[in-house]
Amino acid sequence: MKAAAFAYERPTDLSATLALMARANGTAKLIAGGQSLGPMLNLRLVEPDLIIDISGLSELKWADRRGDELVIGACVTHGDIEDGRIPDVTRGAMQRVAGAIAYRAVRNRGTIGGSLSHADPAADWVSALSALRAQVALRSAAGARDLPVERFVTGALESALRPGEIVEAVRVPAMAASARWGYVKACRKIGEFAHAIAAVLIDPEQATARVVIGAVEAAPIVLADAAALFGGRITGDFERQFDARVADAILTKAGLANAADRHIHVAVLRRAIGEAASA
Amino acid sequence: MTMIGLTVNARPVEASVEPRTHLADFLRDNLDLTGTHLGCEHGVCGACTLLIDGMPARSCITYAVACDGAKVTTIEGLDDDEITAELRAAFTREHALQCGYCTPGMLISARDLVLRLAEPDERSVRAGLSGNLCRCTGYVGIVRAVRAVIEQRRRRGIAPVAGGGRQTLGPVGSGNATNSAQPDGARGTTAKPEAPQPMSGASAIPDFTPAKTFGETFTVPYPPDKVFDMLGDVRQVAACLPGASLTDMPTPERVEGAIRVKLGPISADFRGAARIERDVDTLSGRIVGIGSDQRSRSSTQGEIRYRLVPSEQGAATRVELSIGYSLKGMLAQIARDGLVRDLAARLTADFARNLDRHLSGDQTAVITEGRQELNGMTMLIDILRKRVSTAIRRFLAR
Repeated sequence: MKAAAFAYERPTDLSATLALMARANGTAKLIAGGQSLGPMLNLRLVEPDLIIDISGLSELKWADRRGDELVIGACVTHGDIEDGRIPDVTRGAMQRVAGAIAYRAVRNRGTIGGSLSHADPAADWVSALSALRAQVALRSAAGARDLPVERFVTGALESALRPGEIVEAVRVPAMAASARWGYVKACRKIGEFAHAIAAVLIDPEQATARVVIGAVEAAPIVLADAAALFGGRITGDFERQFDARVADAILTKAGLANAADRHIHVAVLRRAIGEAASA
Repeated sequence: MTMIGLTVNARPVEASVEPRTHLADFLRDNLDLTGTHLGCEHGVCGACTLLIDGMPARSCITYAVACDGAKVTTIEGLDDDEITAELRAAFTREHALQCGYCTPGMLISARDLVLRLAEPDERSVRAGLSGNLCRCTGYVGIVRAVRAVIEQRRRRGIAPVAGGGRQTLGPVGSGNATNSAQPDGARGTTAKPEAPQPMSGASAIPDFTPAKTFGETFTVPYPPDKVFDMLGDVRQVAACLPGASLTDMPTPERVEGAIRVKLGPISADFRGAARIERDVDTLSGRIVGIGSDQRSRSSTQGEIRYRLVPSEQGAATRVELSIGYSLKGMLAQIARDGLVRDLAARLTADFARNLDRHLSGDQTAVITEGRQELNGMTMLIDILRKRVSTAIRRFLAR
């Protein structure tokens, strides 16, 4: 339960960080709050030669509303979002997600960018930000690019990050006034990793529904147009139109062979839809 | 070793620490502040919870070097704290502790709730204490004590403090350092893997009943007999498996080798041996292997059964795999079946793509990461093992 030895660098700005990463030979790991990497280091599942601490970089610790979106620096913590220390464009949705991540002592150090980079399928932001149509802003010494969150997470603990690349910020579009949000997860104990996650963003006025089924031990299932779950058309009556058999078929097709697992995912999805309907 | 300066319980402290030393070890071993307890040491039990820059944090998964310049308050520093004094009295009254091991962390989390919660409602208090495990009390007395203190303070007109009073963004404890870390003396540490020990070549590979099994299939556009021949060529098969290498092939039925499996930040090198069985009549085969990863002191047994089924009037072949494994050691404690499956699916896809290229005669395009010499179904097995290892349980995915 003690980490193996590693060298430690704390660069003072982002360009120094990127230069350091470009120089490192592949056994370097970035650390922000360390709430996922710390346990792995302590258990010696990960033994990097070099740890680069980015938690002090002020370039990654800010948030600002820009036009129709909120830009959140990668090192903003779950606690910062929970406590409302940054602006909100999701009518409280992100605040509620943040407040239910792990435990308060973890939220005070764990960061939004770190959680995405870690890409644990059971982590909250992976699913919630996919449902919110968020983008990640990536940067490396070679340049910058943006990716939708659902294309950033490519598998269990696997992301689209290239060597030498870092998550710089997350960009969250403003939620429409007519949109309904629901987010539900199943945990055996509060704060534990979820066994099922459902995030839904339904807009009866626009007749659109975006549904994410997460904690499936792989990249989340993102249904950009989830009309099929509601009889083919999104109306104000979407809660009653929800067809659990379609959801079950989608999960089966995605490779969830265990009927009990599918049942839990469908039940959680039904609750998230119910939450959206009563929002 | 790296020089850091901290303020611990209002006292300035300077020390040289190894980067790998977590804050709790630093406080306990260097400063004799043993009130901070260690339970799980991976962020789950909450015993090590203390205040960093006035906010609760886990000191077992926060490294001391990362707190350079921060203000740390341990349970010893809260003797004269008003809220903590009220909580101590309430804990005593309500029998909120028995062995006391969780109590320092519990008091830190309780203090945070007393500070922030507007109402002493039971659900919020229980949810707020969910990150601190107590194995003695059943929590009833603890919850009662915390609710009582919140209730009394609100009745006395003391308002809750939103967000615990924090004003700045980012991980608590970060951003206080005045300069970049200065390693003093020789650069830290190069922990690197010991030379791997070869498996004994003579060891028998036993049959076993896998603890977990799952299936994978893929289709290649070549007739079954051609695919079956190809799968019989261990070297070629190995070449199709990313991360795999063969070290020896004493008989056509036995191969020895290694496979490196990577899952996110975790990588494992499984070394071992496999036994190959083939049945040309049914176009099926079986590979049984054993291997171990030194670093994680984990061992695995794996089995891959394959069956070739003609499709498209025999012009193509569907390869049906049944993959089974058992895992022992540290990795087993954290392995999640689903992660193994996800990894297996990706490796199978890579393998199928490479196999297709090989069969088409395109020798240049085979994707591999790193070494590969000969390998075959062993590779598959190895892959298995790797996956297994990779099946690292989701650590705190925070």
